[in-house]
Amino acid sequence: METIHKSGRKPTPVPIRAGAGLKPQHYQSVIEDQPDIGWFEIHPENYMGRGGPPLRYLEKIRQDYPISLHSVGTSLGSHLPLDRQHLQQLKRLVDRFEPGLVSEHLSWSHGYEWYTHDLMPLVYTEESLQLMVEHIDQVQEHLQRQILIENPSSYLQFKASEMPEQVFYVEAAKRSGAGLLVDVNNVFVSCTNHGWNIDDYLSAIPISLIGEIHLSGHSVQQVEGRTLRIDDHGSPVCSEVWTLYQQFISRFGLAPTLIEWDSNIPEFPQLLEEVSGAQSLMDGVAETEVRNVVTG
Amino acid sequence: MSLLAELQKSFCDALRTAEAPDGALLAMLQDDDLALQRFQVYRNNFIVLNGDALADMFPVVKRLVGEEAFRVLATAYVRQHPPRDRTLLLYGDLFADFLQAIPELSELPYLSDVARLEFAWTAAYHAADAHPLQPDQLQDLSEEAFAGLQLRLHPSLQLLASDFPIHRIWSVNQSDDTDELISLDEGACRLIVVRPDNEVQVRVVPQGEFEFVKRLLASATIGEAFEATSQTDPQFDLGQFFSRHLFDGTFCAM
Repeated sequence: METIHKSGRKPTPVPIRAGAGLKPQHYQSVIEDQPDIGWFEIHPENYMGRGGPPLRYLEKIRQDYPISLHSVGTSLGSHLPLDRQHLQQLKRLVDRFEPGLVSEHLSWSHGYEWYTHDLMPLVYTEESLQLMVEHIDQVQEHLQRQILIENPSSYLQFKASEMPEQVFYVEAAKRSGAGLLVDVNNVFVSCTNHGWNIDDYLSAIPISLIGEIHLSGHSVQQVEGRTLRIDDHGSPVCSEVWTLYQQFISRFGLAPTLIEWDSNIPEFPQLLEEVSGAQSLMDGVAETEVRNVVTG
Repeated sequence: MSLLAELQKSFCDALRTAEAPDGALLAMLQDDDLALQRFQVYRNNFIVLNGDALADMFPVVKRLVGEEAFRVLATAYVRQHPPRDRTLLLYGDLFADFLQAIPELSELPYLSDVARLEFAWTAAYHAADAHPLQPDQLQDLSEEAFAGLQLRLHPSLQLLASDFPIHRIWSVNQSDDTDELISLDEGACRLIVVRPDNEVQVRVVPQGEFEFVKRLLASATIGEAFEATSQTDPQFDLGQFFSRHLFDGTFCAM
């Protein structure tokens, strides 16, 4: 998963450890306390101002931690062409901060003259797949590096879809040379919302393509006697998702794992506690593997 | 039109309206008797996410009208002016005008100017950085040459004039703990918003200083700006203004 800049400089790789989404509320704590945490992830769109304190804080934090750029504004699944200006801004941030990983979503947010900013659902057709692959190609070409794509959390399905989400997801990566950012919470949310079989979903994923894992909390709503799970990144990771995560890393091996917490943002210690939770599960799996090698 | 284009356009239309989505869109969704509710999750997320961005941008407006009324206003704004930018950093540039046009808010005549101040604050926060003007850059200039200079103001600098004491309203409402009352009789104020370094400053300034900076912003030379300002405000003390602000980051390197 290592990529080299045109300049020949290597970005600092994101280690196979647990990391956290970086929030402005936590800049001071991170800078002053230097917590023992593997890496931070940012949304590049929050750093696309012309200047100002956010870029300065990031500069400072980047000196001490590897970072990952998790974009939300490219709109890879849009029927409209990618925005050159946005790609250039993204490239400038990649050049300046030398992230270990860059990722985007299997989704769209630009359907008209305006932007939804929330991630909208795709129809899983061959037409849509080809467009997704073209757009991933363009981003990778522009950034001169591989990106990872993330599976969405979804609430509805289109009749016109021709293939299951996991087939579309893996195919998009294979055809474009992208890697996979597997959001384990999203797998759980989408599978339960649609009655899909989680094991079927995971069985489609090739180990070799996994570059990163996301974990987050979701909320549960009762709608006419049925349960819909809403991915709002606003609470601790729930026990079912922790269990699924442990099964996932036991089966597929370890990958850099991020705790995302984007609404109802907690005090920094609570976020750190979630990160430690992920780290302990990773350490547990690593130990088992070592034991297996020794005894096996 | 391709299936994808058609689907994304009708999805966007349906996200934006308060009405029930049209039948054609619902007919495209797999139906398990929950198709409408499933769609509503996206519509709700769209409204809440962009409304949250407005709440972050306008905390004082939110405090002045109350949480509930703010949500109603934010929802109406998101529908009328959905984001036109790939980032939400400066979403809400038309919110002040939007508030001003709402008849029910006429009892809070200062509200839209408070919104202008909050937007100016965030615009200054994310504005380009610049090196402050240094004394050595003005060394050995004759008086005449100095008067002929066009100074560059910091890219974050903005001017804001209001008929209401919006600076007091804005400062007092920075915290939720206050119940201090402000009389509108305190009257008009003129503000300069600027971020010379890391901190955004909101300065209450006298008329002369405001007019002088306004003319500099419009590319007047120091001499021209001073002459015009002296006519409207003979009290304006250029020496005192420069001793405080010439090298404090209000102006940037030439």
